[in-house]
Amino acid sequence: MRKHIFALTALALAFSLRASAQSFLENSQVNGSFQTDAQYYMLDKGIDINDLKGKQLGINGFGKIGYTNGNFSAGMRFEAFLPEMNGFRSELNGVGLANFFASYNNDFIGVTVGDIYDQFGCGFVFRTYEEWSLGMDNALRGVRVVLRPTKGVTIKGLYGRQRFYWAPYLERDFSSDDYRGIVRGADAEWDLNQSIASMNESKFRMSIGGSFVSKKQYDQSLFYYIPENVGAAAGRVNLGYGNWAFSTEYAYKINDPSAINNFIYKEGRALMSSLSYSQKGFGAVLQVKRVDNMSFKSMYTGKQNDLDINFIPPINYTHTHSLPSMYTYSTQPNGEMAAQLQVNYTIPKGTALGGKYGTKLAFNMSQVNDIVRDSVQFGDQMALNTPGSLGYISKFFAISDHRFFRDINFEIDKKINKDWHLTAQYINLYYDIETIEGHAGAPAVKANIGFLDVTYKINKRQSLRLELQGLWENEVHKGYEVDESEKKDFQKRGDWAFALLEYSINPHWSFSIADKWNYGNPVEEYRDHYFTGTISYIHDATRIMLSAGRQSEGVVCVGGVCRTVPASSGVTLTVSTAF
Amino acid sequence: MKKTSIITIMAALLIALVGCDKIDPDNTLKPVNPTGGGDVEGGNKTVLIKDFTGARCVNCPAAAETAHALQHQLGEDRVFVMSVHAGGLAQPAGQFPDFLTEEGTAWYNNHDSNPLFSVDNVSLTDGNTLYVDQIDAPVAAALTEEQSFEIEPTVAFDETSRDLTVNVSLVSLVQQSGQFNVTVCLVEDNIIGWQITPEGINREYVFRNVFRGTLNGANGEMVSDGDLAPQAELSCSCTGTLSPDFNADECYVLAYVSGANGKILQTAMKKVK
Repeated sequence: MRKHIFALTALALAFSLRASAQSFLENSQVNGSFQTDAQYYMLDKGIDINDLKGKQLGINGFGKIGYTNGNFSAGMRFEAFLPEMNGFRSELNGVGLANFFASYNNDFIGVTVGDIYDQFGCGFVFRTYEEWSLGMDNALRGVRVVLRPTKGVTIKGLYGRQRFYWAPYLERDFSSDDYRGIVRGADAEWDLNQSIASMNESKFRMSIGGSFVSKKQYDQSLFYYIPENVGAAAGRVNLGYGNWAFSTEYAYKINDPSAINNFIYKEGRALMSSLSYSQKGFGAVLQVKRVDNMSFKSMYTGKQNDLDINFIPPINYTHTHSLPSMYTYSTQPNGEMAAQLQVNYTIPKGTALGGKYGTKLAFNMSQVNDIVRDSVQFGDQMALNTPGSLGYISKFFAISDHRFFRDINFEIDKKINKDWHLTAQYINLYYDIETIEGHAGAPAVKANIGFLDVTYKINKRQSLRLELQGLWENEVHKGYEVDESEKKDFQKRGDWAFALLEYSINPHWSFSIADKWNYGNPVEEYRDHYFTGTISYIHDATRIMLSAGRQSEGVVCVGGVCRTVPASSGVTLTVSTAF
Repeated sequence: MKKTSIITIMAALLIALVGCDKIDPDNTLKPVNPTGGGDVEGGNKTVLIKDFTGARCVNCPAAAETAHALQHQLGEDRVFVMSVHAGGLAQPAGQFPDFLTEEGTAWYNNHDSNPLFSVDNVSLTDGNTLYVDQIDAPVAAALTEEQSFEIEPTVAFDETSRDLTVNVSLVSLVQQSGQFNVTVCLVEDNIIGWQITPEGINREYVFRNVFRGTLNGANGEMVSDGDLAPQAELSCSCTGTLSPDFNADECYVLAYVSGANGKILQTAMKKVK
């Protein structure tokens, strides 16, 4: 009898475990993505690449796996830079598990351990993110707790240390080059429309939020008293009524002397406001921003695009075409005053100008100037931005005459008939290349840029696309005298022309040839052609792209954060897939 | 639920309370004994910082400020800063001033950026140079070294002919041997000219402590090549003519003695007038 009982119990247990395992597996979801970018470099005397400096091949790759089962999720990202491609920081060179996390979330609480990506408000005091094209990852390895005590209220707290390439997270030597501080922060947001029953359906929408973030880094300086705890706080309000929306955020940071701000002890401030209106066929956004001494890093000696705790959002139009995106603005955390106006209007279908499909028009203007700085007393003399001093005083609404950037552009996007589609844009650009890219003494880029992007649908599967672009500088072009010693600062200056022809066979194949020609460079030896030929194949979520040719020197910017891309010649292969 | 919220708010307040260290802006500099070892404030060992800079180098003014702040803090009689214009960003162009010198170019030794620094020539002779945020520790360490020489330049300047004669007297303070050279540098302070800054071109920038050349070559002249007993006396003399472009009122001489490896052992300054 006892034997039977054991047998039955064992059988029941086996069935129960199997059912549980089956249920567990049925609820599981796994997703992932993989990408490999490889560049094979070749000598090319035509664009002055006479030495590969020992690097014939650069490969950047990652694999990301995510797992979800009900309220539980986990993930990891494996990275390999063997070695890193040109233009990426050499500290990336290596291979390993760069990122992992496990998270549990229900209606009341969410807990994450591992590498955390998050943002408080617009990012003025905290944002961690990963941007593959920049080789940037400032994830916070630690713990995050999210509480939702009542409907519409979210409270977050987090604590950890940021990723610094492949440097270890456990610090024992505070004087080591990769020592960085601990970051801790809290954020609360209250959505009144969700919390208050009478406002649930209201046309008036309101939410408020506040954040506080602090870094703890030991003072390693021999000469300056470095604050070991640097705090930054921000408050924000989002309002909406009908088609109108307004949001604003103000941030304040206490003294934070660092290599970026030249070890001054001034507090930091930032303000950004945005007013928008939208209705069918029309939308307009006006944004203003002021930033003063707001670089916030977990390593006060850091100077590169790494270990940023916060993020200064750019308020500029993001160009995607080749020549317009050559001069992309990089935000200046030490100080800037910016404004942007964007208006979109669609001329309705069935009108004389709208035609059968309507016509989309867009206007954008953005400008960024420096802030005004006045000297402060330091010892027995007046000083401006002197290390160890308060640095400067700056009137909040005063705008410096020093203009960093201005972009005025107008775009028309028109589907002419079922076969033809065209987009055209004109851009008037001012770009202070000296401040933004560090080309000392080089005159600002004042240019007119235009492009025409035409697509012709041959049949249901095949299409042709033609891009014609031109960039004409007002001052620096053929005939502009460049001193021999300044030549390098003029490598991409002067007039450019660009043409691209792309033939696509949907849904798999695409072939393109392009040439970018710096025909108006003031330095004759830089009047180069940058030919490229590209083949790409897409199958479901898999994309394989092979291109060969030259790449011009430039900058790649995402969200106002930029990296320099050196000129190169060779073959590039990109393989990406997702499931 | 309420408890959770209260705990969260308390935790946030706690973070806020421990999260800020406000430094008094009038008291940002630490007392001078940073190495914790030797005595920086005592002794008479001096240090020479060479600031390799350029008028078209946007980051150079700030770096120079840092070096001068260090000098100000540690004592202008103990730390000397000499701005050596060298490298691509110091090449004369347009209205930017030409402060290039043969000796400065030789010292710069084909490095490829500005601003770079050397402390008592140590980094320079190692084939490296220092960034501005790396000079504080070497300066502190150099100040705590044992002083091996006393050096005293005397200057005779004829205002009519603008001829300059510099006599340098040295006393060995320890038993030592090897080759020792003396280099005499001419430096001009407070020159107004064009300089790139983060705010754009400053057309009235004040260039401090600009190296104008040596009176006896990039490596100076040898004053001893053998054993030196304590209190052994050495001397050398060199002459030159002050360019009419230089403001004699702002000129001074920096004389230093260096060992066979180029490391500067002691530096002293003397005004031309």
